[in-house]
Amino acid sequence: MAMTLTCPVCGKRNGYEFRYGGEEKGPRPDEADLSPRAWCDYVHMNRCLAGVQEEWWCHKDGCGVWFKTHRDTTTNLEVDKPEAQS
Amino acid sequence: MKRLEKLSTLRINPAKSLNFKYKNKKRTGLSGDTVATALYANGIRIFGRSLKYHRPRGLYSLDGESSNTCMQVNGIPNVCAETTLLADGMQVKAQNVAGSPERDLKGFMDKLDWAMPAGFYYRTMHKPAPIWPIALKQVRKAAGLGKISPTFQMPGTYDEIYPRADVCVIGGGPAGMQAALAAAENGLRVILLETRPWLGGFFDYRTVQNSAGESLAQTARQMAQQLDQKTNIRVLKQAAVVGVYNNNLVTAFQKGQGSDYFDERYVEIRATSVVVATGCIERPLLFENNERPGVMQIGCAHRLAHTYGLLPGKQAVFSVGHDLGLEAALDLFDLGLEVTCVADIREDGQDPILLEGLQQRHIPFFRGWVATCAHGTGALNTVTLATTTGTLEKEFACDLLVASAGATPLTGPLSLAQAKLAYEPYTGFFMPQALPANIQVAGRMLGLNHPAAIEASGRLAGILAAADCGASVDSRLKEARENMNQLPGPGPGCKLVTAPVQGRKTFICFDEDTTVKNVKQALAMGFDATELIKRFTAAGTGPGQGGIPGHNLPLLVAQYHGDVTATAMPTTVRVPLVPTYIATYAGTNHDMCKRTPVHASQKAAGGVIRRIGVWKRARYFSKDLSCRTEIENVRTNVGILDASTLGKFRIWGPDALKALQRVYVGDMSNIANGKVKYSAMCNEDACIIDDGVVVKRGENDYYFTTSTARAGATVEWIRYHTRYDGWQFHMVNLTDAFGVINLAGPNARKVLQKVTDADVSDGAFPYAGYREFMIKDAIPVRSMRLGFVGELSFELHVPASYMQSLWDVISKAGKKWGIRNFGLEAQNVLRMEKAHLIIGSESEQRTTLHDVGLGFLWDRNKSGTKTVGAVALRQTENQEGRFKLVGFKMEDPSRPPKDGAIIVDNRIKGYVCIARHSFTLKEPVGLALVEAQLAEEGTRLQIYEDECKGEHIYATVVPTPFYDPEGKRLRM
Repeated sequence: MAMTLTCPVCGKRNGYEFRYGGEEKGPRPDEADLSPRAWCDYVHMNRCLAGVQEEWWCHKDGCGVWFKTHRDTTTNLEVDKPEAQS
Repeated sequence: MKRLEKLSTLRINPAKSLNFKYKNKKRTGLSGDTVATALYANGIRIFGRSLKYHRPRGLYSLDGESSNTCMQVNGIPNVCAETTLLADGMQVKAQNVAGSPERDLKGFMDKLDWAMPAGFYYRTMHKPAPIWPIALKQVRKAAGLGKISPTFQMPGTYDEIYPRADVCVIGGGPAGMQAALAAAENGLRVILLETRPWLGGFFDYRTVQNSAGESLAQTARQMAQQLDQKTNIRVLKQAAVVGVYNNNLVTAFQKGQGSDYFDERYVEIRATSVVVATGCIERPLLFENNERPGVMQIGCAHRLAHTYGLLPGKQAVFSVGHDLGLEAALDLFDLGLEVTCVADIREDGQDPILLEGLQQRHIPFFRGWVATCAHGTGALNTVTLATTTGTLEKEFACDLLVASAGATPLTGPLSLAQAKLAYEPYTGFFMPQALPANIQVAGRMLGLNHPAAIEASGRLAGILAAADCGASVDSRLKEARENMNQLPGPGPGCKLVTAPVQGRKTFICFDEDTTVKNVKQALAMGFDATELIKRFTAAGTGPGQGGIPGHNLPLLVAQYHGDVTATAMPTTVRVPLVPTYIATYAGTNHDMCKRTPVHASQKAAGGVIRRIGVWKRARYFSKDLSCRTEIENVRTNVGILDASTLGKFRIWGPDALKALQRVYVGDMSNIANGKVKYSAMCNEDACIIDDGVVVKRGENDYYFTTSTARAGATVEWIRYHTRYDGWQFHMVNLTDAFGVINLAGPNARKVLQKVTDADVSDGAFPYAGYREFMIKDAIPVRSMRLGFVGELSFELHVPASYMQSLWDVISKAGKKWGIRNFGLEAQNVLRMEKAHLIIGSESEQRTTLHDVGLGFLWDRNKSGTKTVGAVALRQTENQEGRFKLVGFKMEDPSRPPKDGAIIVDNRIKGYVCIARHSFTLKEPVGLALVEAQLAEEGTRLQIYEDECKGEHIYATVVPTPFYDPEGKRLRM
């Protein structure tokens, strides 16, 4: 695909080589007092931002590393970490 | 037709003639001809009939921007004759004609234009409603040009390449070639894409001389040679750019030349920087009957003569708006064309040398005049010229009208690259306002006319592109800029949009037969935006992909609104830029699959191979697909199965146990030495995704298996679910590194004992044990005693290179007992009789561990491991309304229900996962997922099978396993 991503190990590569791993939502919340709804929201709900979001990618056709990066969802281009939070 | 000879610009080879067939006659063309020029050389002037009005159509541009010359070639419809090189033996047929192109029985449609105003199909033929199906049938027959049968098989070889380049140059004319050479000076990797079979662009066919005294054609050929000699420039000819995407991804389709191994191939280039030098086409002149055969653009007339040696007529009138028209008139006159007069839309601004040339040849020249009507039924015979205001008129007899409103840039690739275009009033061109990063533009598309300026702009763009790639260019850049500044800049363009006409037969789009009158009708109905008019009138939606309406449509609409500069915008361009075969998109038709190390011997032994995911595996070893013999052999004797596709992994390191604890629901910390631990993996919804066994081979060193389907995803899965932890562990996927033999049946041990010295008695190697030993003192084996098929069995894992040998050894040893192969179907039935799970068969995306009765695998007391799925397992274990996996037997034992049959009462309550006639139990049994309230033993299940016509069959829920419930056979 047209997109390119920068793997922390291998450098800038074609989008074909990667698998999307979802929005960055942080590590699993504490299980104590976790309602089914809150758990479902953590697993399934996405913010679906129109703009820059932080997300996970796997370099599946390369070194296999999982890494985080920022991407502008409106242009589908990888961006450097933004100064301000979006 | 006799060809012009001894022209230095010819691209045809008079010595090499090619045969082809058209209209059932054998004809000849020359090597280098396109199908169109070959037909033209054979006297063909009418190539086909237009879509709606069946008007005769012929050569207009020689670049195929319209469907005028779409023909059927070798059975393939809609082939663009103007861009397809002639090949020996081609069979060419006209399209969309009832009869012949010269005498089409549907030609009367032209007189019915009044009945077909803009958008007429949206507003007619649907009232009253019942007539629509009838109208639809007739419209379907009439619409479209070429015909194809549903069983047509596309011939040819289609390939794909993915070259990487530093600089990709789009366009092989003078600017493009200079850009490529300039970028290559830095040692960068350059790829140049050119649509035509040769480089040269609009220099290629021109004999005017540049300041150095050589013809432009000569200059271009020399430049092309220079490119040829550079090892870091790769030139792809007959390659048309189809798309331009983010991060300078350029896609193109290349046609094979005779000696190429492909007919068409897909080219995908990732370039650091792109130079767009696609040049210009001519803006079609709009006047009445502007598409009559005999009316052609300047380049078409000029190139027919200079490139193909064909004089485009006997007596010509020129109605042009660009100096190239004057140049063509002089050249063609000198080659023998009678030029009655030259009308120029422009009042002034012509090159004085060209004007002098016209004077010397006594060719009448009309400033400020334009063609308003072409006359003649089949072909042209008269032209009406008028002043651009329309006040004064003259008529001239001719068989050729060279008509053009001026040049306009080919902005397709630039548009796709997200360059913002705006109308520039001096040139009359749509120019890029701001270029995206790492894109450069050069050549005629910037409005340049002077040959040296065009070349210099190419050089400048090439140097800028090299700079985009990080090359150091400072001194050369300065020189190139200075050079550019000294050369003439863009020239004034001709801005006339239409001749002064009513427009009833002034065609703005040739493909869809859209006239200026149709556009006016659309405007009158309130469609005043170009994009709306395009769709309402269908202008630009045909095979030419908008090549003819091109920039005329937005300019016409902008004129209507009175302010061209502010409002004119080209219509949105989308991929593909040129029509392409689906076969080229489909590409090479590789059937990629994986085979196990013993694939060949399985096949030789009578294995019927089927695809399972990416693998090819033996499904049956019997002609009787119920596999009775295979099944009974495993139950009573010994069978051998190839299980090499099983996922196998090694995980090791200080935190390997932590990683296993994270993904497996069981407690991995208590795996006993010499034993396997069976467990499952769930996703965060507690749904079972995999099952397998884990073995501890050493301190912090584990070997585990997964199902075949999950093998590919396992490493990724484990790494994903440990991505925040920063743990120290390594994983390697050994699926392809080890072959696996499943030796199963009451006689299995006897066979195994024959080939190993190790003690494999039940005492030394009990059920669920793990042992490593040698076979025949030579083959190292990792062995597990599991019970998937419900009999005594040994799973033997060997390095893949030993697999065939182990297979042979065991087969030989087992001969004494009549060992037989068994395949996946037999295995399926055997494990079904034990109600053992196959993920995806007895489970689906929403089936939890509890649903399938494997809740006991989950160690709820594991703490601190954040096991994937644990949260949801806790939350769903007592949830109501879930499906449960049950076993069932049939009330009528004559046959099992079909796999996938649904279980109903007044609604759907579940479905049959698998059901087979069991030879072991002598009756049909099966497994089903049903709603929890139907899962109790003894419940009656009503089964609805596909196409049962309301006749349901019935089953009863029974406990599982059906066979050997106490598991005695496994533990033999």
